[in-house]
Amino acid sequence: MNIKSKAKKSIPTSRQRELPGQDLKWIGKNMKRVEDPRLLVGEGEYADDIALANMLHAAVLGSPYAHAKIISIDVSKALALPGVHAVMTGEDVAKVTGVLPCFGSPPVEQRCVALGKVRHVGEPVAIVAADSRYIAEDAVGLIEVEYEPLPVVADLREAVHAKGDAVLHPERGDNNIALQRNFKFGEVDEDFANARKVIKRTLRWPRSGAQPLETCGAVADYNRGSGKFTVHANTSMYNYVGWLWAVSLNVPAHKLNIVPTMAGGSFGSKLFLHKVPIIAATLARATGRPVKYLEDRLENLSSCDHHGSDRYYECELALDADNNMTALKCDVIDDYGAYFQFGIGHHGNALSQITGPYKIRSVEANITAVLTNKCQQGAYRGFGSEVSNFVLERMVDAACDELDLDRVEFRRQNFIKKSEFPYFIPTGNLYDSGDYEAVIDKASQMLDLPGWRKKQAEARKEGRYIGIGLATCQERSVFSSTEFWSLNNVPGFTLTSSAEGVAVKIDALGKAVVKLQAPFWGNSPETMAAQILAEQLQLEPSDISVVYSDTDSGLSGTGPGGSRYTVMIAGALVGASKIIRDKMFLLAAHLLQSTPDKMELRDGQVMIKDTDQGMAIADIAMQAHFFRLSFPDEPEYDTGLDASYTYDHPLTTLPNDDRTDLGIFYPIMGHMCHMPVIEVDIETGRVTFLDYVAVHDCGTVVNPMTLAGHVRGGTAQGIGTTLYEQYDYDEEGQLRTGSYSEYLMPKAMEVPHDVRVGHVETPSPFTEYGIKGGGEGGRMGTPPALAGAIEDALRPLGVKIDALPVTPSRLRGLIREAQGVITRSVPGSRVP
Amino acid sequence: MKTSVELTINGKTYQGDVEPRTLLSDFLRHHAGLKGTHVGCEHGVCGACTVIIDGKTARSCLAFAIQCEGHPIETVESLGTQDDLSPLQQGFWEKHGLQCGYCTSGMLMLATELLRENPTPTRDEIREAISGNLCRCTGYQTIIDSIEHAVTIQAGTAREAAE
Amino acid sequence: MKPSPFEYVRATSVADAVSTLASYGDRAKLLAGGQSLIPMMNFRMIAPEVLIDIANISDLAVIETGDREMRIGAGAKHCSVMASDSVRQHCPLLADAYSHVAYSTVRNRGTIGGNLCHHDPASEVPLVLALMGASLVLTGPSGTRTLPADTFFLGMMETAIAEDEILVRVDVPFQAKGEGWSFHEMSTRKGDYAIVCAGVRLQLKDGNFSHVRIGFNGAGTATKRMAQVEQALEGQPATDDTIAAAVKLAAELAEPSDDVQADVAYKRDLVRALGRRALVQARDRASN
Repeated sequence: MNIKSKAKKSIPTSRQRELPGQDLKWIGKNMKRVEDPRLLVGEGEYADDIALANMLHAAVLGSPYAHAKIISIDVSKALALPGVHAVMTGEDVAKVTGVLPCFGSPPVEQRCVALGKVRHVGEPVAIVAADSRYIAEDAVGLIEVEYEPLPVVADLREAVHAKGDAVLHPERGDNNIALQRNFKFGEVDEDFANARKVIKRTLRWPRSGAQPLETCGAVADYNRGSGKFTVHANTSMYNYVGWLWAVSLNVPAHKLNIVPTMAGGSFGSKLFLHKVPIIAATLARATGRPVKYLEDRLENLSSCDHHGSDRYYECELALDADNNMTALKCDVIDDYGAYFQFGIGHHGNALSQITGPYKIRSVEANITAVLTNKCQQGAYRGFGSEVSNFVLERMVDAACDELDLDRVEFRRQNFIKKSEFPYFIPTGNLYDSGDYEAVIDKASQMLDLPGWRKKQAEARKEGRYIGIGLATCQERSVFSSTEFWSLNNVPGFTLTSSAEGVAVKIDALGKAVVKLQAPFWGNSPETMAAQILAEQLQLEPSDISVVYSDTDSGLSGTGPGGSRYTVMIAGALVGASKIIRDKMFLLAAHLLQSTPDKMELRDGQVMIKDTDQGMAIADIAMQAHFFRLSFPDEPEYDTGLDASYTYDHPLTTLPNDDRTDLGIFYPIMGHMCHMPVIEVDIETGRVTFLDYVAVHDCGTVVNPMTLAGHVRGGTAQGIGTTLYEQYDYDEEGQLRTGSYSEYLMPKAMEVPHDVRVGHVETPSPFTEYGIKGGGEGGRMGTPPALAGAIEDALRPLGVKIDALPVTPSRLRGLIREAQGVITRSVPGSRVP
Repeated sequence: MKTSVELTINGKTYQGDVEPRTLLSDFLRHHAGLKGTHVGCEHGVCGACTVIIDGKTARSCLAFAIQCEGHPIETVESLGTQDDLSPLQQGFWEKHGLQCGYCTSGMLMLATELLRENPTPTRDEIREAISGNLCRCTGYQTIIDSIEHAVTIQAGTAREAAE
Repeated sequence: MKPSPFEYVRATSVADAVSTLASYGDRAKLLAGGQSLIPMMNFRMIAPEVLIDIANISDLAVIETGDREMRIGAGAKHCSVMASDSVRQHCPLLADAYSHVAYSTVRNRGTIGGNLCHHDPASEVPLVLALMGASLVLTGPSGTRTLPADTFFLGMMETAIAEDEILVRVDVPFQAKGEGWSFHEMSTRKGDYAIVCAGVRLQLKDGNFSHVRIGFNGAGTATKRMAQVEQALEGQPATDDTIAAAVKLAAELAEPSDDVQADVAYKRDLVRALGRRALVQARDRASN
């Protein structure tokens, strides 16, 4: 960053307690997952596995229109159906249940059942509780609704100009612009004025979504005596904002206990559930019986409230006379759908790493968020920064193309160097550490880049189109909640921490029980906790049990998301372990007639340093639980051997008032280099993988096997995003890809036979053991790498990939167009 | 109108009073209490609900329970227990063949059918065998590794048994 | 996504199925493998009041090898047809096309009869049967009749089967000795519904094409046999240029429509590309 004109920014002192580079017994090992045995035998407990006595089942009538007034609803036939216990319209619900939570400021009002008008296809219009899901669906079919269609807003660029009846939320003004704001960081205008070359591109990233194999679901129970709700749900932010459901349900927060179930995948889309559990809870209160509401697949696709980013970018990249990238300008329109639950948090997220691994020194982002008649955006693996990764890497490839520069060398030249960390980027965020040259070198070496370039050249002579892609992308980890609010025009709440709590107890037999304030959704929280606690207390992982708390247990927790969980739970466990360790040392020292400073943990025992004298943890634990009078009469010897600890974000600072500096909000910065090799069949547009290397640097790795799982799983999702997936709405706001017959995701034949994963470990100076997050994995880097590979393959034809997904039909269209250009420009040419 | 349906599942008889329209997936999960089979899409595309009927894999969301009377069914619960994992289950555990676990029972049943018909499949044959089922977490590679590894485990177990 | 209520009846024989179907009329649908029927019911796109289960009629599933044809029971599962050594030997085009049909688990339950009566326009088997000159045997209250494939298959999801009839058998003539054949398909992912399929049978006579059969799915209606393209190849030298001209004609004659996966221009491109690949491969396989 060009800091000559600014005072050097200070970095808060590191609160790291456990240094990286230690000789570790459990951390870094490919331990088999603790979660697996029960999952393997079919004994995992997911939302639909919850069965309460007298439970009813809910179904939802979804709107067939994208935009319409609700004129009347006749539920009489539905109510008369045997087995139906409740049918509620938006008006019925609004009498007892308030609006849904929203981080946007000012908020955009959303209700769990539409009131007065519907704003997207699939939006709930009425809800039913019946003896079975089958009967509930029969009842839904009997509800008669009269609609008055309104003009549909389905195109994001048209949405900017929409007025009158086409406005989704007229109470906010006569337009569909949810937020529009310009952000400038550094001397953008100056850098563009002095540029030797400006690269321009228009890029289109359409919405796709998480598609977890298990949909969102909740089982709600309402106790009329106590007035308390108990809701089992597969959401993850249940401690963080679970109490917001209580607000919607018009009860005090302590009258709602949320119990997490396992989730069959989430990838962000179960982060912030509200509509599904609140529908279940509303029906439970109305019927006096427990109610299960599980989305079916059609409901999830059309109405999950978690579609991904949907953006149209006009970008400019400035380079100086020495081919250094100096400035980046982005005009972006983002189609947020009908509601605005995260505000433009997705752009805050992107601004944490908008300049990538490069020394770009100024940035302008002109952001327009529009509302349209589609399902709203939510969270999908990357939360908006996978899009800016794509955009930046496409600009970098474009620069190499236009200036005829080598893609590897250009990147190396522009990288932030290892010695320059911690490094502030123009937006104000900090990159904690990195070694980007090591990552690209390792990837090139693993791929055998020169070898593939040779094969590519030979293949070209045979009329085959092989391409080598390259993307060097950031993977920020451990979000700080700043991104949720810092970009709002009107600040609203200003969260400053997304903490993670843990409770650790050593029982009388010396076994550990760890209570997490976050659920399982396919990440490996139990395994991470077991490995880290085993390391901290020198226990065997088999002596550690991990359980999940409900909200009644009271600790703060944010849960997984933004690749944060392992780092945060490590911090919490280190904190809790220290308390327990100190107490064990205190008790042991007394019993061994020594002093605490001479104690150490070794092989499941507390030993006097440099001696063979010690006590087993199990023995100390027994003493701690039952033998108070063996110890001095001082409070630190009181009964018990447990600790709770809440770990705040290790490194956050606040933004400044005019937002020319967003502060440090996402500093634990991982990095990846993806290099796919593909072949294009130019007649059919089919893309086939020939090789794939992915090198990730996530700092100190707790479990290389599970990290590689995120790399490969994320890569598969990235392949889906690039080649297959789109929520495709037509001009009437009808979802053309509304089932899994049209919304296509990679299956085993569509991924590379071997995604070869490499690890580089550049530890963080700020987190325990130097761990960085890696859960978002390959999805952060695959799209630009794969788009670049396709462009590289079709270089002889001059095809450019500026829009996703690159389906066979679209790719063939680009090829046909390019061949037409060649034929027209060179008369008599033989079109390949 | 409910009717009595009796199914043979994992060698046991299960009876339920259900409507003819009750899907096999729902019968398994809610009437037989066998929750290891999962429901992902209910239109036969994702394969999460895969079980074995008459010795061949089938999507239980595309079958009515009543259709399956007289046609023996096997589910994931027949493969092993936490204390006694089958070679396939052990293979998945050792090679990280699952993350959220939701597709896992379907994959295990496909692998079971494959190894019965072809005890030493190539990686390509394994890939083909699982090619109809969705996994959103793993990217499939470690599932193939797991099934390949299970073959080794099984061979080792067979050797031990013979010795 | 649960289906609407229905009554369930299990038929014990073909005669039983016919009379049961007659008694319920248009209130009933036949249930064989259910791989096409049940998804539609789960979507509530259809709501038959009665399902007549014909999957337990063992006579209906028999695969017999005749002197000059395969006689395949309509109730035979796809996996059985695919695995039949006789089918592979005498009707290799059919066996080969089967590798593109859905996924193994779907083929385990889906029946050839169900697939043919459903007549999804992207479905491979109807196209192959048209190229093979197959006959379909139908039985109803008024007796049994046989229809050639090109009379049986009408429009999209439409066949000539009467409401009270059951398809009982498909008779597929053996392919000729020395014949060349090929089947090519393009789908977005392997196993998906085809965007375009191309099927070819031909023989070589003194270096010229003869007995040419060529047809496509995804190229419009009534393209299971493209007579004009066949005529353009018949008797012509079996050269790349002949092939190129023929597939160019096929692409021009095709009348595909846009859908969510592919546009018209792409489908025409595929007719040309897959048609060429199929003709080349068929030519390579044929012996003079």
